[in-house]
Amino acid sequence: MTDPTATLTRPVIVVQNAVKSFSGRVVVDIAELTLGDVPIEGLIGPNGAGKTTLMRMVMHSTGLDRGTITLWPHGAVAGGGVVLSNLPSHRMAGHGVVKSNQVIMDFDKLTIWDSLLLAAAASKSERPHRIFDEPRVFAEASDEVARYLDEFGIREPSTYAKSAGEKKLLDILRCLLLKPKFLLLDEPTAGLPEELTAKVIDEVRTVASQGTAVVIVEHNLDVIWNLCDEVHFMAEGKVIMKGTPAEIRAHRTVVEKYLGEGHV
Amino acid sequence: MQLIGDSLVIGLTEHAPLVLAAIGFALLYRLTGLMNVAYSETVTLGAYFGMWVNTTFDLNFYAVLLPAGIMAGLVSVGTYFAVFRPAKRRNVGTLELVIISFGLSIFMRYGLQFVFGYPVRFYDVPPPDTLRVLGTGVSTFRLLALVSVAVVSLALYWFIQKSRLGLQIRALASDEGLAQASGIRPLFVTVLIWFIAGVAGGLAGAFYGVGSSVVPFLGWRQFLFILLVVLVAGKRGLGGVIVVGTATGIALAALTLQTHQAYYAQVILIAGFVLFLKWRSKRTAEAGKV
Amino acid sequence: MNLDWLDAFLIYGFFTIVVVSGLGLLLHLQLGLARIANFGVVGFFGIGMYSFGVLYVKVDWPFGDPWQFLVCIAAGTLAAGLSGVVVGWLVGDLNEDGVLVGTLGFATAVFILATTEKELTGGAQGMGGLQFPYDVGGVKANELLWLVITAAVVGGIVFYVWRVHRSPYGRLLVAVGSNEPLARSLGKPTFRTKLWLFAVTSAGMGLLGAMYGVMERFLRPTNLGVDITLAAMVALVLGGSARVWGAVVGVVLTVGFFDIIVQNYLPVPVEWYSQALPVMREALFGAALILVLMFRPFGILGDMRRDKLMRSLHGD
Repeated sequence: MTDPTATLTRPVIVVQNAVKSFSGRVVVDIAELTLGDVPIEGLIGPNGAGKTTLMRMVMHSTGLDRGTITLWPHGAVAGGGVVLSNLPSHRMAGHGVVKSNQVIMDFDKLTIWDSLLLAAAASKSERPHRIFDEPRVFAEASDEVARYLDEFGIREPSTYAKSAGEKKLLDILRCLLLKPKFLLLDEPTAGLPEELTAKVIDEVRTVASQGTAVVIVEHNLDVIWNLCDEVHFMAEGKVIMKGTPAEIRAHRTVVEKYLGEGHV
Repeated sequence: MQLIGDSLVIGLTEHAPLVLAAIGFALLYRLTGLMNVAYSETVTLGAYFGMWVNTTFDLNFYAVLLPAGIMAGLVSVGTYFAVFRPAKRRNVGTLELVIISFGLSIFMRYGLQFVFGYPVRFYDVPPPDTLRVLGTGVSTFRLLALVSVAVVSLALYWFIQKSRLGLQIRALASDEGLAQASGIRPLFVTVLIWFIAGVAGGLAGAFYGVGSSVVPFLGWRQFLFILLVVLVAGKRGLGGVIVVGTATGIALAALTLQTHQAYYAQVILIAGFVLFLKWRSKRTAEAGKV
Repeated sequence: MNLDWLDAFLIYGFFTIVVVSGLGLLLHLQLGLARIANFGVVGFFGIGMYSFGVLYVKVDWPFGDPWQFLVCIAAGTLAAGLSGVVVGWLVGDLNEDGVLVGTLGFATAVFILATTEKELTGGAQGMGGLQFPYDVGGVKANELLWLVITAAVVGGIVFYVWRVHRSPYGRLLVAVGSNEPLARSLGKPTFRTKLWLFAVTSAGMGLLGAMYGVMERFLRPTNLGVDITLAAMVALVLGGSARVWGAVVGVVLTVGFFDIIVQNYLPVPVEWYSQALPVMREALFGAALILVLMFRPFGILGDMRRDKLMRSLHGD
């Protein structure tokens, strides 16, 4: 568990009256939800509960039928809110809101080094006339990238990511390199070998302790119970329960009804 | 008022083949999802085949339509077997496929000059009478072309939308797996689509050719407009293509009358259509995001 | 200087090779890296050519060559770059179909305006009055010098492209071409990136167009045919669309073969030169495009090797 007193400067995302339906079926319908109150929040629920859709709505990669999603970079009281649901998707990262992908997403023409340097590079180094900027980008990012490569045991970073697990890991590392203030992780450990899962969890704890708000969707409930300070339980597009892992687990009947036995 | 009447008459008669060509292109586009640049050569070849039959066997223009259409249809099927089917089997990407069709278009456009020669060719048809429609002089020939195009377009529309084979074509175009599961012979229906598309293009070409002259760039000159009509009509089916195609013809005529310059009309229309596509893509930009 | 040994056709052949190489290199940035198929290369080429020509011939400049020449050629380049911004804005968020229509439509519009604006361009009859900004003694010497200058410019383009591959910008272009939504989610302004890509590459194409116009000395709309786009595309695809040197290798094999070997050294019948040869050239280019993309889609040089590149840049 991370230290909950560190919430003061943490950014908050407030979801208000957010509705999304696909061909008539309401997938997400949330009256009010605040994410980022505590360092690490979990989002659980059965398949089709709208978890991934909600995450996509936050990133504005799925549009809202109605409602707003607002980012308060210094907490809800401090002011200076940014309405995320009006922003184009490439502006999200600039505000520190970053999401890893549930399905495998990769640049098939880029090597692992490329992929990570791409995430780390500043926009001003990527203009058409900056054709001599590679050494600078490399110098700025290489220590951090090398640390990740070392920690996650990536031996040949000059080649392309091959396995699904490697691509998934790369996706998460790219997100971390963006120095997120608000990190959304959509099933980060699905498809990862166990020892990497543990390392990813460590990494998430570290960034959370440094002031990043983390929201994590995960089917592996052990990860949720271990990692999260607070858990939202979603079903049928709504958050029906919210509490600490212990509180959620106490509602054995509800959780088992949705997720099946043996999960609590 | 005169402008409206003139635009209607000129637009409908002069640009009638555009509708026909667009229908053929739209069929292929919906089946394969491919912007087949080489389709423009089906149009050109229709004009050449018609001219060749017309001048060689001294046949009446309307008797020429049938063989010209069939020959163009066969060429279209030929391109499918020679290029597009092998390409699909090799899993060539969308972008590469467009470039391949561009290459095929160029190959056919220049290759046909070895067969038909370099000079400009003409149909051998008697000079037409002129009728007055809504106060505008129109050659009987163009009126007949309009009627023929209308009949052929509607027949194609009926065939695709109402007949049993048409149903299979639409099924295959929307979902190949499902169509296969419901007992359609995909190869037969695919070949049929390529053939019909070729016939439509070829007939359009014959009408273009008899209206002016037969040159290797005949189809290429129309291709941009065919493309624009089909893209703007989007997913609204053949009915949409007919409506947009007709409207485009009328708009071209009206703009030409306004600016006294057919070329300006084309530039304005190209710009307008591309802006429309841009505007529409803004509204449907949802899809390709993480 | 005695240049009798040098055939005028040979200068023209090499000049074509140099210019098409430049276009192919710029197209490589669009097609090979960012995966945007520009079918309107000749449109940007033509904007540069005609903007330069019209400004140089029709405007009364208060200063003479070489300043007049330089100002006009800069203006032509700028005009092409601006048209690139406009086209990039139009097609930047469209799919392949939209890009095909937009770029093709642009090239058509340029061709049409070159034909209709008789006051400015001389219409279909064409426009003369262009000349080299120097005289080093004789037409042949002037042309040879112009070939050298153009080759130097294209050398600069090669260097730029080579550097782009080794820069964060090139990496971003590859990322945009490879998975645009993912690049966007990493905070990359992909639309703006394409806009700038179009601006820079189109300006380059416009510069080459202006330089081509100087060599032609007489501008006609027939200079703006689809064959320019085709030559650049065939060369690039044949050589290897993802490689720096792909366009250059491709041009030597295609344009080089026809405009140097066949034109100058093969014993073809004289009556072929006017029609049969050009037609055969285009038909074979078209066929080459099909065959290469079917059987060797990455061309002679193969796919880009960023693994090797990264190793050479940053070690293992």
